[in-house]
Amino acid sequence: MRSDGLEIHYRPRGPITGRRAGAHPSRQVGGLGTFRDLVPFAAHPDARRIDVRATALDPFDTVMVRRFRQRASIDVYALVDLSASLRYQGHAMKAAVARDLCVALARSATRIGDRFGLIGCGAVLRRDCFLPATARRGVAADVAVLLAPSRWGGPGTGMGPGPERGAGGLLEAVPYLASARKMVFLISDFLLPLELLHRVFEGLAMHDVVPVVIRDSTEGVDLPDWGLLDLADLESGGRRLVFMRPSLKRRWLAQEADRLAALRQLAARHGRVPLTVTDRLDPDEFSRVLLEA
Amino acid sequence: MTLGIDHPWVLALLPLALVPWLSSPHRRIAIGALILVPADRLSAGLRGGLRIAGTLAVALIVTALSSPYHGGRLISRTGTGAQVVLLLDRSGSMNDTFAGRTPAGTEESKASATKRLLRDFIGRRPHDLFGVAAFSTAPMLVLPLTDHQDAVLAAVNASDRRGLDFTNIARGLGMALSMFAADRPDEHHVILLVSDGGAVIDPHAQDQLRALFARYRADLYFLFLRTAGSKGLFDEPGPDENTPQAMPERFLHRYFQTLGIPYRAFQAESPQQVEEAIRQVDALERYPITYTERLPRRDLTGWAYASAGLPLLLLLAAKLVEARLAPSRSVFVAPPARGRAT
Repeated sequence: MRSDGLEIHYRPRGPITGRRAGAHPSRQVGGLGTFRDLVPFAAHPDARRIDVRATALDPFDTVMVRRFRQRASIDVYALVDLSASLRYQGHAMKAAVARDLCVALARSATRIGDRFGLIGCGAVLRRDCFLPATARRGVAADVAVLLAPSRWGGPGTGMGPGPERGAGGLLEAVPYLASARKMVFLISDFLLPLELLHRVFEGLAMHDVVPVVIRDSTEGVDLPDWGLLDLADLESGGRRLVFMRPSLKRRWLAQEADRLAALRQLAARHGRVPLTVTDRLDPDEFSRVLLEA
Repeated sequence: MTLGIDHPWVLALLPLALVPWLSSPHRRIAIGALILVPADRLSAGLRGGLRIAGTLAVALIVTALSSPYHGGRLISRTGTGAQVVLLLDRSGSMNDTFAGRTPAGTEESKASATKRLLRDFIGRRPHDLFGVAAFSTAPMLVLPLTDHQDAVLAAVNASDRRGLDFTNIARGLGMALSMFAADRPDEHHVILLVSDGGAVIDPHAQDQLRALFARYRADLYFLFLRTAGSKGLFDEPGPDENTPQAMPERFLHRYFQTLGIPYRAFQAESPQQVEEAIRQVDALERYPITYTERLPRRDLTGWAYASAGLPLLLLLAAKLVEARLAPSRSVFVAPPARGRAT
């Protein structure tokens, strides 16, 4: 799809229980990986890893075997909010940023042997935008097709009223992510009720959940100081006339900061602080923040 | 305070004034969610204000299109005057001077002198209703009773054109009487007959006229313009002259006296005497008269447009201070160029 240079480096947190060999340190002990400890042969009867030196030094003539910390793979899922609000067009379309991020994640995951899966959620779980975890190399191209901008906002109409609104499908996605611990990138603009997010986070508690907030600076610092804005809600279609002025812009930014702070607090309680992608995806910066988070 | 409009059907467009409440005139700016926007009372007030301004602008423009006006109604007033029919002799001799010659130099014909003096008379009586009839061989209806002084003056102005041959007073009087309404006892009817010669009225016509005068109850003023050398109204006849054919003026006068109506005859032999006679008529005919007056309209279209201008200016200003969120609209598939990373 795009240049191979755009890769995201990630490191899952917590115990990885996958049995497939991969790139991430796991609790699995075995014959490969980084050295872990020495155990008697009886405990780990692996004749290939008998440590001659340790055996010779052992005062009780116990045959010692080296054990290694195996590297395992993990399933990476992108849980994408397909609600219409991501059709917002600022410096770029938020949906495009989300797509770029998923494509980069898919390429990065399959390159190091992890499997990548995609679950799109609108008001309901979107089966037309569902990709079970796969290690297939071409998955990035599939993801790019699946996340065409027309996917956002519900099938067909773009933005529909009533049941098409919201991102309640995120809850429906939780059962699909059962069993082994996975790394889940929750990609949304997070213009969602905190209560819904809380339930989503609880549902995904066993996974390493990375919330990624797609933002656009035109909704924040790039707001005009003065002027009349006739705003239309992309989801509900409601209209609001706003007379922008510096004091209102300050209040707007403060309210936005409050919203992000609340999200940050909620996410931190469930493991990770949210990452923010503003205007465009910078994979290097994203990787750096992701490793710090 | 009365308001009216010329084109009421245009008001059918008035429901358009509701359009500002249904649809916004501003550029729609899509935003992810309105919960991002802090509540702001000033903005809400402005939105309401702009909607009201839009409604006002549309309503006022529609009103202006329907041509509103103020006033312009008819009012009934009571003044002093009468309904006067000027019955003018248009026979050819009226174009001569009082001396019986064709006017030369500064001399004034009987017709022009009458015209000039009648114009003054009309000008002094603004509330009278005037009608103008003329007669020569046959009566001519010049102008029915009207309060339009300009029209009356124009009709009088036209009365000194060259006249025709004969003098048929009876039919002229009949026409003058027919201008009045028979069933309005509150109106006061006056016939001012201006003639320079008598005519014989045959007995049959005399009876008819008598009946008409009884029915219409008109005062009759006979302004006789006596040409020098001709017979007068009040001349005593000579022994062999006492016939209508020989002295038609005298017999006409005596016939009018028998009509049983207020009748006065003036015999004028110069413009000064004509003026004196008309002044007397003016003084005599002072009765209460009900007349209608049309108050002038004041066109309010300009005001309507002007008052529509203010909300329009407000809307224009709102349109001009519109802002954008995104710097420019770019197509979705072309995100900004990105830096390459290794």
